[in-house]
Parts: sequence; structure tokens; C-alpha cells
Amino acid sequence: MKNSKSTIHLIFFVLIGVLPFAAAFIYALLYSLGVIGVVNEGFTLSFWQTVFSSGEFLKSFCYSIAISAVSVVLSVGLALWLSLQFRKELNRPFLSFMLYLPLAVPGVVSAFFTFQLFSKSGFFSRIACQINWITEARQFPDLVNDQLAIGIILTFITVVLPFFVLLFLNVYRNEKVDQLEQLSASLGANNKQTKWKVSLPILLKKTWTLIALYFIFLLGAYEIPLILGQESPQMLSVLVIREINQFDLTKISEGYVAAVTYTLLVSIAAIALFSNQKRTANDF
Amino acid sequence: MFKKLTFIGFLMSIFVACQSEKPKQQLKLQEASWEQISKEAEGSTVNFVMWQGSPIINNYINNYVVPRLKEELNIDLRISGGQGTEIVQLIMGEKQAGVEQGQADLVWINGETFFQLNKIEGLWGPFVDQIPNTKYIDFTNEFINQDFQQPVNGMECPWGITQFALVYDSAKVPNPPRNLKQLETFVKENPGTFTISNDFSGMSLLKSFLAELSGSPTGLDGDFDQSKYDRLSDSLWNWINANKKYFWKEGQTFPKEHSKMDQLFASGELYLSFGFNEGGIEDKVRQGLFPNTTRSYAWDNGTVKNTNYLGIPYNAKNKAGAMAVINFLISPEAQLKRLTPDEMNTSTILEVNKLPEAWKKKFKEMPGRKYGADLNDLEGHAIKEPKPEYMIKVYEDFRTEVIEK
Repeated sequence: MKNSKSTIHLIFFVLIGVLPFAAAFIYALLYSLGVIGVVNEGFTLSFWQTVFSSGEFLKSFCYSIAISAVSVVLSVGLALWLSLQFRKELNRPFLSFMLYLPLAVPGVVSAFFTFQLFSKSGFFSRIACQINWITEARQFPDLVNDQLAIGIILTFITVVLPFFVLLFLNVYRNEKVDQLEQLSASLGANNKQTKWKVSLPILLKKTWTLIALYFIFLLGAYEIPLILGQESPQMLSVLVIREINQFDLTKISEGYVAAVTYTLLVSIAAIALFSNQKRTANDF
Repeated sequence: MFKKLTFIGFLMSIFVACQSEKPKQQLKLQEASWEQISKEAEGSTVNFVMWQGSPIINNYINNYVVPRLKEELNIDLRISGGQGTEIVQLIMGEKQAGVEQGQADLVWINGETFFQLNKIEGLWGPFVDQIPNTKYIDFTNEFINQDFQQPVNGMECPWGITQFALVYDSAKVPNPPRNLKQLETFVKENPGTFTISNDFSGMSLLKSFLAELSGSPTGLDGDFDQSKYDRLSDSLWNWINANKKYFWKEGQTFPKEHSKMDQLFASGELYLSFGFNEGGIEDKVRQGLFPNTTRSYAWDNGTVKNTNYLGIPYNAKNKAGAMAVINFLISPEAQLKRLTPDEMNTSTILEVNKLPEAWKKKFKEMPGRKYGADLNDLEGHAIKEPKPEYMIKVYEDFRTEVIEK
């Protein structure tokens, strides 16, 4: 009985999880090689050559990595600080509600919030104008659609930070970190030592797979960089969609090249991540 | 066991649901009389894929066209959003998958989509001669019988005609620039107040610039000429790259869409804008978005003037219905409503002199625009849309030669 149940589970997993993904991947791969596609003329490697010789994909890839890395590091850092510093306060009903609230806000909405607040004709610009810091809208600093992706990073942080705070608070409770802290204090460690050598390593060790997964999630984010990003370089998903929707139908395959490459890289990263995790799990 | 059976049943139902219905025995539409077509269309549902980015246009469609069609012809018109490449992607996807009964019966397109759809043989036709109300359209007008210099050949029916115009706030800019030389002086005197959106509108402006660089309004006419394009586009990119430090955000980035430019113009960041529908400012001034000192004007060497069309996809389920809807959309009644200043306010595709007296009178009595320019105001400053290859190249090169530099 137990066996047949697990077979059904497996079938479900393959049907819903693996099959659509595999089909889409094969479709994209064939499209990128010119095998399918109404205007394509058969197998060719030329799309792959164009994409990798133009450098736009590589630039966009590095740009996405940089943005996601900065956002994750800042969010994790801030979340650690908040959850260790204000642990007691954050457990109060009102504050914890305030923490859950941003989790319910979709990415598009957060992006629009950021836009409304930080654009040159936005809320802060208007305030700055009212108090005579600036006299014209265009003197307000570039915070959205800007070269340094400040708007994107800011929004990523607001989206991801509450999640990490909640995560760290839970791990803190489940791993009984407070007892360990007391123990280390009674063994003579000072506050700083306790924080750096006991609490932080435990929290990070327990959550680093999730942190890495969030990094991958941000790497492929679409709506936020679409609304707050600039025209070049663009983050990966934005680039892929742009290539696939372009006017020149003969070049749609280039978008699929980017999509296939991205999928491969992320899959390899994910596999490496999880095989590694098994080992660390066994270490305990 | 029971669970297993329900599971299998569930899977079966998915497969059954995925199979398409068998196509109905269809009337041979291209040989049918209009009476037969109307009869076939009556009581049917037509799926119309159109650009839904303008509240004014949506209002015209939802609150006028949809109820009138139901009343007159008992046709249910269902609207879904989609334009340009989205329509191409939809039809291309269906073609790849061999879908015989497509999702769209009617699409609103312009030249570059027409070009793409022709490339994949995505349109059904010719059908235009069969539509009775086309008798009021002047098909000898070369702005109408050619779409991006491709002969229309009855594969798409004209719906509206529009010209691109530049827009400025007369309170801030007394003498707006009318050629590239004046534009250069303008951006140097007013840095940060001009930009080019990286979309259809922006590219239409660049085509007008290319025509100016060619030295004449007809400079881009005829077949696509690579060497001519290389020469003209080189000087265009040089001009932009030399001046873009005076553009919005020092030319380091460009707005993705024209609607963004509207916001920037409304907030006063931009002094100069542009748009189709002879500038497209009438409704925005009336809504209070733009100041009422906003005006639109012609470029010395001319701006592109083009027609937008209605097409029927090759695999449309309800072609007869689509034809009946097209006939309504180009009827004097629907076109007059479209012209009304607080409605869509789009120039009519009909040749007013061909209309019956009563309609002619109504069209002539319609008040003109208060803020934006009329097609007549821009007369003598119109250039024909160049071949689609120009658009495709300009798109690509604007990215590689300007944005990514």
C-alpha cells in the first residue's frame, strides 16, 4: 500500500513538476538551435555565436549577479542585526504583524511603491522641492531607472528583508540559541564573543541554503527590474523577454539562447548547492 | 482503488479538454454575398485583440462599440489586450502548434505587425473588397493603400489615419525646434528636457530624423537600401551620441515606453515630447494631465503619417463575424463617434466627400481640436512610412549604437 502511494506521488511529481519544465526546456533548446520556429530555416549554431560574441548576455549576467548579491548581502546583514538586536520587540503582536505585511505585497506593487516614492517626480522629490532643497524636479538624484540600480536593490531589500527577519527569529527559537548564549556567557564569553562566535554562526549555518536560493530567485526576478531598471544593461529575465518579443522575427532564437544558458547555469548551481547541503547535514 | 480511478479520470478529462473542437462546416466566405456573411455573423461572438493602453480608446470600444454591435447585429464583441509582437507571438505560436481555431478573430495592427504577419502568412484574405462600407474610403490615397510601403492588397482594412507630431508647452518654450539643427541648440539651452523613448513612437521620431538627414521628405521612399541606411544612420547616431549628454538623465538611459514620456512631460521634467494621433495631446489636456498651453506642431522636413488597420488571422474561428465588426467600425456612424473631441478624437479614415449628404454635413459640423494639430495643419509636412526594414534596423541600432554605448 505504502509503495503504490509513493508511486502515485512520483507520477504526480513528474507530471506536474518535471514534465512541463522539461518540455519547455527542450522547446527552448530546439528554438535556440533554429530547429523549430516558423521563420527559422533549420539547424544552425549562428544564434549561439551571435549571443556570445555580442557580450550583451555576459554583461547582463554579471549585472544581475552583482545586483542580487548586493541585495542579498544587505538584506541578510540587516535582518541579522534586527533580529539579534530587537528580538524581544519583534515578537510583539503589532511589530510581527508589520513584518508579515510586506510579505503579502507582490513584487510589482513594491516596484510601483518605490517608483512613486523615489522617482524625480515622486514623493520625496516633492518634499525636497517644498522645503527648497531643490528648485526643479530634475535636480533630484537619480534613484530609479538609474545606472547603479539603486531602485532595484532598494525594492529587493524591502521584499526580502522581512522574510529573513522572520526566518532568523524562528531559527533562533528552534535552535534554542538563547540557552546557548547563556551557556557561553556563563563560561566567560563577553557579549561580542557570544554574538560573533555562537549566535551568528548557528543562524547562518542553518539558513545558508535558503539564502543561496533567494539569491537565485532575485537573479531571475522580472517585474521589479522591468519597472525600475534601465535600458542597458538589463537584468537577465528582462533581457530574455525583450529578445523573445523583438520586432525582427529572425532573431527571436537569440532570446532562447539566453534563456537556455541561464537555466543551465542556475540548475548547475542548484544541484551543487543541494549535494553540498547533504554533506553538511551529515556532518552534524 | 477508488482514488486511483478518480485520478485516472481526472487525467483523461484533461486530455479530452485539450483536444480542439472540430471546425464547423464553413461558408465559402470569399465567394459569399454580404447578406450571407451578415447572416452567418448574426448571434456570434468575435474575439478582438487590440491595444488597451488608452482609457479613451477603451471607453469608445466598451461603452459604444460593444453595446451598439449587440443592438444592431446581435454580435458579442470580446476584447483582449495585445499589440504588435504580442499578436505576432500569439499567431506564430498557434501556427507552430497547428491550432486550426485560433483565439483571435480580429486584430488591430499597423505596418510592422502587418510585415511580420505576412512573413509568417498569418493573415486571412483578401477580404476588404467585400466590406460594404469600404466604398467611402479613398483607396487611391497612397497613405492608405500602402502600409509601410507594402501594398495592402485587401489583406487588412483601414480603420484610422494618424500623423506623428511633436509636442511642447508653449508657456515654457516659445519657439520649439523644427529641425535637427534647432534641436541641437534647444537641448544645449535646456539640458535634460528631451529624450527618445525606446519604442514604436521613439523609432518613428528617429525615422523622421533619418528622412531629414536624407535631405528630403521622400528620401526614404522605395525599397530598403542598405548603403543609404548605413550612411544616414551613421550620421544620426553621431548626432545623437554627440548631443545625448544634454538629454534626459544625460542620455545614459532612455525611457522604455512612450507612456513614461507622457508622465515626464506632465511632471515638467521634459519640455518636448511627441506622439501619433497628431501629437495625442487633446485628451490629456482635457483630463488635466498636460497644461492647457500644450500644443503639437510639425517638423520642417515632415513626420511620418500612417494608417492603422484591422486584420483577420488565418485561423480565426469566426471570420464572418470579424468582417461584420469591421464593417461597423468603418461605418460613418462609428467613425463620426470616433472623431468626437471628447471621445477617441481620431481623424477619420473615410473620405468625407464620398459620404451621403446627411453624413457629410455631420462630419463637417464636428468641432475641431482645441489644443492639438489637425491633419490639415500638418499638410505638406507628412512623409510616408519607410519600408519595415528601416524600423527593424533603427530599433536594433538605436540599442547597440546609442543605448549600449
